[in-house]
Amino acid sequence: MAYLSVWTLTERVISIVFWGIVKLIFWPPIYQFVIIPGLAAAMVVVISIIWFERKAAARVQMRYGPWEVSPRLAGYLQLFADLIRYSFQEIIIPRTVDLMPFLTSPLFALLLSILPLAVIPVSPVKWTWPLTPSAMRYSVLIAAALTTLSPIFIVAMGWASNNRFATIGSMRETFLITAYELSAVIGLFSVVATVHSFDFTKVVAFQGGGKWLGLINPLALLATFIATLISTSAFPFEISDAENEIVAGPFTEYSGLMYGINMGSAYIKRWAMSILIALAFLGGWRPYIPPPNAGYVTGYLIPSLIVTAKAVIVMALMSFLRAVYGRYRIDQALHVSWKYVFALAIAGFGLAILEGYIL
Amino acid sequence: MPAKFVHKKTPKIGVLGAISRNASALVLGLKYFFEPNRFTLMYPREYIVLDKRYRGFIVLNKNKCIGCESCARVCPTGAMKMIKIEVPDPKNPGKKKIAKYPTINHQRCVYCGFCVDICPTEALYHVPVHDVVYFNLADMIQDLESFQKEPVSPAAAEGAIPVKYVFDPERGLVKVRVKEGEKK
Repeated sequence: MAYLSVWTLTERVISIVFWGIVKLIFWPPIYQFVIIPGLAAAMVVVISIIWFERKAAARVQMRYGPWEVSPRLAGYLQLFADLIRYSFQEIIIPRTVDLMPFLTSPLFALLLSILPLAVIPVSPVKWTWPLTPSAMRYSVLIAAALTTLSPIFIVAMGWASNNRFATIGSMRETFLITAYELSAVIGLFSVVATVHSFDFTKVVAFQGGGKWLGLINPLALLATFIATLISTSAFPFEISDAENEIVAGPFTEYSGLMYGINMGSAYIKRWAMSILIALAFLGGWRPYIPPPNAGYVTGYLIPSLIVTAKAVIVMALMSFLRAVYGRYRIDQALHVSWKYVFALAIAGFGLAILEGYIL
Repeated sequence: MPAKFVHKKTPKIGVLGAISRNASALVLGLKYFFEPNRFTLMYPREYIVLDKRYRGFIVLNKNKCIGCESCARVCPTGAMKMIKIEVPDPKNPGKKKIAKYPTINHQRCVYCGFCVDICPTEALYHVPVHDVVYFNLADMIQDLESFQKEPVSPAAAEGAIPVKYVFDPERGLVKVRVKEGEKK
């Protein structure tokens, strides 16, 4: 009798601990911010995308790219080697910098570029939403507002570095912020005009049956795509940290892990924007509809993986442009963004209003 | 007459031209992405089979050398130096005479080939090998014995794949594997 009760007690303790861990993992703030669209997935995706970017550029430019470190994995471990090297390098802080902004702004930039992932839904099931349903009604608005916060810290980095290259880089960044911000937000909000709702879940629900907003309103998708390229300094617009003009732009004075964070935060912002594009234009989790009373796997894991896969495809497309394009000058980029991308965004918004009236 | 200032403008291509050019660039990129034409030489595993006339390492054929010192005189970097050694005299059997032979210092040599060109008896010649490695500087100063040995490429000695770059009218420069018979 005593033996039996001890056994059942341990069994119960083990089950409580196990289900406690599962509940903690699938608690929306933890799951959303730390695990699947958030930090852990972003880390894996960013490393894989940088690898893909280098391999794709190498294939187009008649080279092999990273290969020697692990020939059987086509050089995939090279990125992990780089990461380890960055994390063990000495962090040199020059005497002339403004210390507090210099140290804190990379962390704020990283944090704010991943913050939009904490307010978006990755599943239609109600208990998985990271916000309350009343706040979820404004999730497109909140996510778009949060994406616009991180560039100010890049400008702060350049100013705090007290270096001429950093100053030029952050000046270029300010020019580009003013150029792309409006197009990105208008492009993203054209979705709202079609669906008549700021709710991401309703936006995704609207896109059922192959009626993807990216297909019925390609202008807004293209405008948002190009604005994302400009905002994350992807290749045709890699202007604010142009390697061969101004050493590393706003990141010139950073070294070691701090530089790694700076380089990663641009990719992580691209990841967050790709998730937003996948939700707003590419149907989100849509081919999959979770069953009623869905559990952790069917209600949360599978839809989030579908969103992740779509976002990875968007991000791979963005990375492929490195292979094809050269770098625009700052005046060319401003010309493109004000004269064409902004007009494209406005046209997309007009089309969205028309579709909202018809559909 | 002073030079005249001309303001040159880039030709305007318009929106449609820009779209078509961007699209064609992307299509070309995708074409190379799916059918890559890579010609990186994976050196320790592959090596280029060089042409017979390649100005590689210089080797002495001692039997042809007459000790005229032309090579040492023409050498622009002073890499070639004459040394005197005692050899058996062919005219007086049993006696010895002093003869001059060139030696080379590979620290100084720039492989210009002037010594090979000027040699009246073709005693010096190039070998199509360029990737010999020395582990210390003293080894680079050759004596008469080592100057007569033809160096071997270490990559070829370790069984690397011989390759060759040829021009293909459709694909441009391509890397081709050289078969054993073609090598010469």
